[in-house]
Amino acid sequence: MTSRRSILQSTSAGFGWLAFNALHQQWANAATPPKTINPLAPKAPHFAAKAKRVIFMFMQGGPSHLDTFDYKPELVKAHEHKVGKYMGTAFDFKPRGKSGLMISDAFPELSKHADDLCILNGMQTRTNAHQMATVALHIGSETFVRPSMGAWIVYGLGTEAEDLPGFVTINPVADTGGAMNYGSAFLPASFQGTRLSTTGGGVPDLSNGRLSDAQQRKQIEFIQKANRRLLAGDPGNPELEGIIQSYELAYKMQTSVPDVLDLDKEPAHIRELYGLDNGDTERFGTQCLMARRLAEKGVRFIQLTSTGWDHHQQLREGITRQAGSIDKPIAGLIADLKQRDMLKDTLILWGGEFGRGSSYDNELYNGRGHNGRGYTMWMAGGGVKGGFAYGSTNAMGDTAETGIITTHDLHATVLHLLGINHERLTYRYSGRNFRLTDVHGEVAKDILA
Amino acid sequence: MRYVPSPLLCVLQISAVALLLACFSLQAAEKYDNPTPWSYLRLQRPAIPFTEDTAWPKDDLDRFILARLEKENLRPIGDASRETLIRRASFDLRGLPPSQTEIEAFLRDPAPDDIAFAKVVDAFLQSERFGERWARHWLDVVRYADSVGRVWNAPFLYAARYRDWVIDSLNEDKPYNRFVAEQIAGDLLPAKTVLQRRDQIVGTGMLALGSMNVQEGDYEQYILDQVDDQIDVVGRVFLGLTLACALCHDHKTEPVTMRDYYALAGIFYSSRTLSGTPNRNDGVAGGYVSPEALVDLPTELDEAVGPPQKLPAGIHSMDDIREFGNPKQTIRYDHDPHFCMGVIDGEIKDCEIAIGGDPHDRDTAPNRGELKLPALPPMPKVPAQSSGRLEFAQWLTQPTHPLTSRVMVNRLWQHLFGEGLVRTPDDFGITGADPTHPELLDHLAIRFVTNGWSMKKMIREMMLSRTYRLATTGNPEHPDAGNKLRWRQNPKRLELEPLRDTLLQLAGQLTFDRPKGIQVAGTGGKGRHGVTRGLLGIEEPYRTIHLPVVRDNIPELFSTFDFPGPTQIKGQRDVTTVAPQALFFMNNPFVEQLSAQIADKAGKDTQAIYKLILGRDPTTEEITDARDLDDQTLVQALLGTAEFRYVF
Repeated sequence: MTSRRSILQSTSAGFGWLAFNALHQQWANAATPPKTINPLAPKAPHFAAKAKRVIFMFMQGGPSHLDTFDYKPELVKAHEHKVGKYMGTAFDFKPRGKSGLMISDAFPELSKHADDLCILNGMQTRTNAHQMATVALHIGSETFVRPSMGAWIVYGLGTEAEDLPGFVTINPVADTGGAMNYGSAFLPASFQGTRLSTTGGGVPDLSNGRLSDAQQRKQIEFIQKANRRLLAGDPGNPELEGIIQSYELAYKMQTSVPDVLDLDKEPAHIRELYGLDNGDTERFGTQCLMARRLAEKGVRFIQLTSTGWDHHQQLREGITRQAGSIDKPIAGLIADLKQRDMLKDTLILWGGEFGRGSSYDNELYNGRGHNGRGYTMWMAGGGVKGGFAYGSTNAMGDTAETGIITTHDLHATVLHLLGINHERLTYRYSGRNFRLTDVHGEVAKDILA
Repeated sequence: MRYVPSPLLCVLQISAVALLLACFSLQAAEKYDNPTPWSYLRLQRPAIPFTEDTAWPKDDLDRFILARLEKENLRPIGDASRETLIRRASFDLRGLPPSQTEIEAFLRDPAPDDIAFAKVVDAFLQSERFGERWARHWLDVVRYADSVGRVWNAPFLYAARYRDWVIDSLNEDKPYNRFVAEQIAGDLLPAKTVLQRRDQIVGTGMLALGSMNVQEGDYEQYILDQVDDQIDVVGRVFLGLTLACALCHDHKTEPVTMRDYYALAGIFYSSRTLSGTPNRNDGVAGGYVSPEALVDLPTELDEAVGPPQKLPAGIHSMDDIREFGNPKQTIRYDHDPHFCMGVIDGEIKDCEIAIGGDPHDRDTAPNRGELKLPALPPMPKVPAQSSGRLEFAQWLTQPTHPLTSRVMVNRLWQHLFGEGLVRTPDDFGITGADPTHPELLDHLAIRFVTNGWSMKKMIREMMLSRTYRLATTGNPEHPDAGNKLRWRQNPKRLELEPLRDTLLQLAGQLTFDRPKGIQVAGTGGKGRHGVTRGLLGIEEPYRTIHLPVVRDNIPELFSTFDFPGPTQIKGQRDVTTVAPQALFFMNNPFVEQLSAQIADKAGKDTQAIYKLILGRDPTTEEITDARDLDDQTLVQALLGTAEFRYVF
């Protein structure tokens, strides 16, 4: 404690490194406990890792695997013979790339990168309800408030982006869990996601029209001094430390965020590569290009969101529209990361909270209901096999049969790819050690490159 | 202050007891595989524990806290100063800081602390600001919103009427059992005057606030969704039970079967929900916004309640808006003083079990109301011609119901102490947290019921305890650093509402008037006149509780400061610390403008600025530091400090 207080005193002038007691306790048993800790400072992984960062593309609503990445010829036949309520795929599937991965015509551009994709056909989640499944995907529990996957990762690895948040979520859904999906729960608040928006210039209130930079700096130093005085009277209050940290970050963000989000700095051919020149793809393309610029700066976890995948009816039109809005941007991002030699250490994760059922839903052959027992997500880049399909569902595509990856398994695998042993990434709270994967989780070793 | 139990309360209690006796023999022994949670078991009046230190406790509540601490060889820390205490009490009860006069009066009051503080608490409890502050806590749990959300986000034109009902009910200290009963069966409860009857019906608006897909083509699915929302809200809000989990299968962890679920479903299935935003198959005129789908309040005591017989003149529906053409200005809806959202009895019928939740694959219906949860009191038998809502309300509000009082005293405790005795306020089941002080919880629950379910009285007694008055200073080396045992008070972050209201108040801009007329516009569809939006922005002078909450269209500021998603039942808000909050204090034009006004009000004097914003004098060091900043910059800086953003 004495050293901690002296650290605070020694840093009382201006910004600087902050002791972070809550974290200090976490490392109390480490071989060499660090004397000063910036909670967001980069930390070594448990073992050497291929992936340094994650770009998670969340498809809100539950995209149909049966019409995109899980080829089910038997289901098509069942439809042709009008067996039960079975509904065949709304798109043709074709073998793609050298690997011959089966991908439907819904994704013509992405299909060109088939040899980079690692398609996970055996996904499973516990519920068929949007809210619970969405929350489970993000935080690992559908019933409790827990830290989100991004928060755990930034807690484990810190960030290499000094003046940017370590965890960014672009256009997150306000519903179905809302802020819980990028929250830090009992982890210190510095680890939660920062919301950015593709409209309205991202973070609001980024500039001050009245004060010069020097004046504002003085103002913030005044605030920080007051906060530190308060902290001295209530040492180890992680919330107070979080507030101090938030000002430090806010000040830096005033210049770094506009800079990194200024997509006009990108040449025309790059903007075109991401589909920014087209009304249908501009929105998600903007997210993808922002993601690349944030990734370049060292942001650890970047989440993108595409809404509108809940195709109970008009599935064909719906998927055409939705896939059309993300296909080119994702293909552009993969190509761009590759040409910058960043795909090898960037893990892309794509998918929704669940998939969709083999039967038609409310109207004859017009849409599908929710299906959590078997569906598809895919990964690309950082440490996974390319041109590889892992796991499978039964003939009708409803139930995962081999290579099953549950929510906890998915989280364990993502952490593993980042060099984190999911059983060792723990945080002590309320009398016990918590993990992202609770007491479950198995790394899908077969997909590792 | 006087707390007189209402005659109605007695009627409810007596009838509940009578029914309890009458039905006792009907209780069938149901087999449940899951264990019975602690919270289902009946209330136990615990003995007041012995404590070594007899001087410290002020109230029996303190004896429970102290006995537990002593068991661990721990001591509570010292009391908070009067300066801190009045600020804490003012924010807790009114959501606003104490005035200079109030602070001075309390600091100089020669009376002993107990008496002096009781005066402060009583005055704050009588202020109308109390209802405005505490109604928001309630709105968080009943998923309050001013629009239906989902696919076609039609506005709830009359949700604000329910909101005002909550504020008024809290201000008049409506007993909690009546407060609950009116929200479930206000239309069915006896009333002495037409005004009382109208008031009770408005309470049922709670059941109509669910987020629904009004475009759902499968009407039976829609109705079952609505019923599910109502089961979820009454289950979690009043009982702390996740009953809605038994929609498609027996509950995974609780002793709740699908039969129980559909027995409860039958009650709402026999009721008609009138939200003003009908499903496309409801067959009413006016489109997705229609007065035909609202309640027309009675003007005579014995008048039947239902939707309006004829459509009123003016703009009241989506069709009216469309007919109006395409003018350049926002088209406003006209307000009708006789309309409200609510629930009335519909076609009386039991609800067949939907196998696997499939609305078209049904099994035999259990008798509606025949809830057989273990250990809980039996439900009164529902008469043939009743929906069962009245009987359900009677069951919930009987004095011996172990959950209704436990869940509510825990909510009251949580708002005063930062965290509930049960840390999962909406989940008292197997998956919820166990109480940290189970005997204290029962002690409070019994006290609450014995005191006529008075929320104000319960709050008052909690606040006058020694435990409430403790200082907040933490100690990371303390064996109970997380303060599970309540050896200190928890500091609380100012939520969005008290934060924004205080900024306006300090700048002299805040009004306590309620906005007049309907403050939402749009029809819920796409396009310029379609998108549903609130007509009051954050810079308006009203208290934050009066600003519209449009689902999926929440002001940025709200989300930045942890306003709960309005489709969620949220007994405890998230507390986050993110850079956008700091940016708000640094750069937001609204904050800059208010800061300039506050600086003017304080006469550009550092001492006065500190007193106004933080309720205390600056130290010499602070005065020196403040010289570096101009007054507006100083004000803005102080508003951004943790000291201002927390209640200690």
